[in-house]
Amino acid sequence: MHLTRPRVIPWLAAALVAVAPACRSRSGSAPTRVAIGATLPLTGAEARIGGFFKEGYQLAVDEVNQRGGLQVGGRKLPVALTLLDDTSTQATAVNLADRLINSDKVDFLLGTYASHLVQAQSAVAEQNRVPYVNGGGGATDIYRRGYKYLFGIIAPVELLGTTLMQWIDREQKAGKLPRPAKIALLWENTAHGQDFRKGVSEFVNTSGGGYTVAVDESFELGGKDFSALLGAVKAAQVDLFLVDAHLPDYITIHRQYIGAGLCHPVVSYGARGSEKGAVEALGREHVSYILSAVWWNAQLAQTIPQAKAFAEAFQARYQRAPEWFQALAYESGRVLFTAIEQAGTLDREAVRAKLAALDMPSLLPGGRLRFPADKGQQVQNSFVVQQNMPDGSSPIVFPADVATARGVAPNPNCKR
Amino acid sequence: MQRLVDMAVSAVLLAGLYATMAYGLGLIYGVLRIVNLAHAGVLMAGAYLGFVLHRRLGLDPYLSIPLVLAVTFGFGVLLYRGLVRHLPRGAAGGPQSLLLLFGVWLVLRNGAYLIFSGNDHVIRTSYSTRAVEVLGGFVSLNRVAVFVVALVPVVLQLVLSRTYAGKAVRAVAQNASSCTLVGIDVERVYAITFGVGTALAGLAGLLSATLFSFNPSFGTGELLKSFVVVVLGGLGSIVGTSLAALLLAVVEVFAILVLPAYLTSAVGFIVLVVVLVLRPGGLFGQRVLG
Repeated sequence: MHLTRPRVIPWLAAALVAVAPACRSRSGSAPTRVAIGATLPLTGAEARIGGFFKEGYQLAVDEVNQRGGLQVGGRKLPVALTLLDDTSTQATAVNLADRLINSDKVDFLLGTYASHLVQAQSAVAEQNRVPYVNGGGGATDIYRRGYKYLFGIIAPVELLGTTLMQWIDREQKAGKLPRPAKIALLWENTAHGQDFRKGVSEFVNTSGGGYTVAVDESFELGGKDFSALLGAVKAAQVDLFLVDAHLPDYITIHRQYIGAGLCHPVVSYGARGSEKGAVEALGREHVSYILSAVWWNAQLAQTIPQAKAFAEAFQARYQRAPEWFQALAYESGRVLFTAIEQAGTLDREAVRAKLAALDMPSLLPGGRLRFPADKGQQVQNSFVVQQNMPDGSSPIVFPADVATARGVAPNPNCKR
Repeated sequence: MQRLVDMAVSAVLLAGLYATMAYGLGLIYGVLRIVNLAHAGVLMAGAYLGFVLHRRLGLDPYLSIPLVLAVTFGFGVLLYRGLVRHLPRGAAGGPQSLLLLFGVWLVLRNGAYLIFSGNDHVIRTSYSTRAVEVLGGFVSLNRVAVFVVALVPVVLQLVLSRTYAGKAVRAVAQNASSCTLVGIDVERVYAITFGVGTALAGLAGLLSATLFSFNPSFGTGELLKSFVVVVLGGLGSIVGTSLAALLLAVVEVFAILVLPAYLTSAVGFIVLVVVLVLRPGGLFGQRVLG
């Protein structure tokens, strides 16, 4: 014992010297603000939606600051958001995340938009042990990497396919659709499309013979000619035409679909359907009765208090109704701020632990939000199925507890 | 059987679009030996020009063809006079021209982002979703119209082979130095050719805009297809370009019978590699404009 004590003291001193700079940089002086960093695709291919996410982030931050800031350890701290443009490219998203953490010294990160950007950027947050809350990366692969600091408030696209099939199943059981029903399943060759296919296929496999997939094909993003694919759909004489596509492909495919004289009792393009751009491109009469399933819809304000508060605040600030993009961005901020206040400190580990254990009222379908560990900390809230109506509205038709209309099946357009 | 007929009709219509995209690129390479990367930017600009004329002036996209041709021709001539003519020609000028015209493409694209944002736009007319019956199947009226317009540049073949101006262009393509000796204004021929090639790209952009949605990134995939068509057809051959467009379209459309749909567009590139290995000059040889 007498021999070892003198050896321990120098080692202890050396360890303290080594650790001291790190302590000073993050907790040496009392914080005067909560520094949040984020990048968004404000230019480039995803610029339109990046702009929507920016609106949601700014609204969440401004609301907190108008209340005097976040309650952290007995003090009110204002939130400072550093928002950078990642130009819709992975390399920039990664570089800027690194800069935000190591140069700008932000405390926490809010995520960018688009699965491929979130996938790349969240790795930087994980390496630096910075909590990263995002509403823009829905692909399930992102959450299968065992990351501890990544939290997704965007439900997996698999559930999109499942929720859509649940509505179809209800209509089939009501005798409005044939049993068994033949499905044409077309999906874009991306993680998004693969997840959609998985959701629909798994539902079909457990349906007890209620459905058969007659056409199961993927297609390349930005394709020009879908006539061969639509020819296969026509030859298979299906009942349900289910596609997962981005907006430009939805417009291209549906134009060629109409041109080929096709019509099916159920038509869906996944998350696409009610967009203003699609109505302009295709005409209201040609998008009527198309189903789409989305993460959020402003009509949820009728049944969920948090959705109502958000929709009213957004309307007051931007003079228009929000879409799911702004809602998920806003909720990302709100969730992170809630965890910080619950932790009562800016310590990243403490906030991460609070996020992991969070179970709070939410504006999302279902009204509550939590990050299940067995799903890689990605929320599992249901989608809402909406249907375009001839009058231009798109009411929620499923789930029943938030539905604002019954929904129409089979597609009346096919009778004409 | 009807499905095969429908596919054949689709292939022919698609070929018309591919050929229109590729004519301008082939013409400029055939005469100036320059790979015009700004082709993609002009395709995009043609689409937006048609969009603005339709949205602001209510001009039907097919009626706006002369205007789009005139504007993009003027842009091409200015681009040549202002920038391209200062570059070295032939293999020596390859990297410079690639970089310069790539830069022009980036400027056009980012300019469009500034003006129109990254949102997708479309041109919708009363006949956008109308169909006509062809050989027992239905095809979009718009696609038929695009195919008919795509046949018009084939007239260029007649102009090149029958008129004095056309012969001058072909002569310059063969030997510019000798042309100077016999009194042909080579620089003027180059400027006009660059203008015509650019105008054809603008036309292709306008026609594409009647079929597809577009944003400032539009043109990238179209440029790749154009390369495949031009190289398959034999650089500088207009008839070859048309036939190569047909071959590419037939291969892509019928590939779905044996391949997953997402692989069909890759088939065109496989055909390109095979042709380049077996016939490096393209299917129809390295002719000089016909």
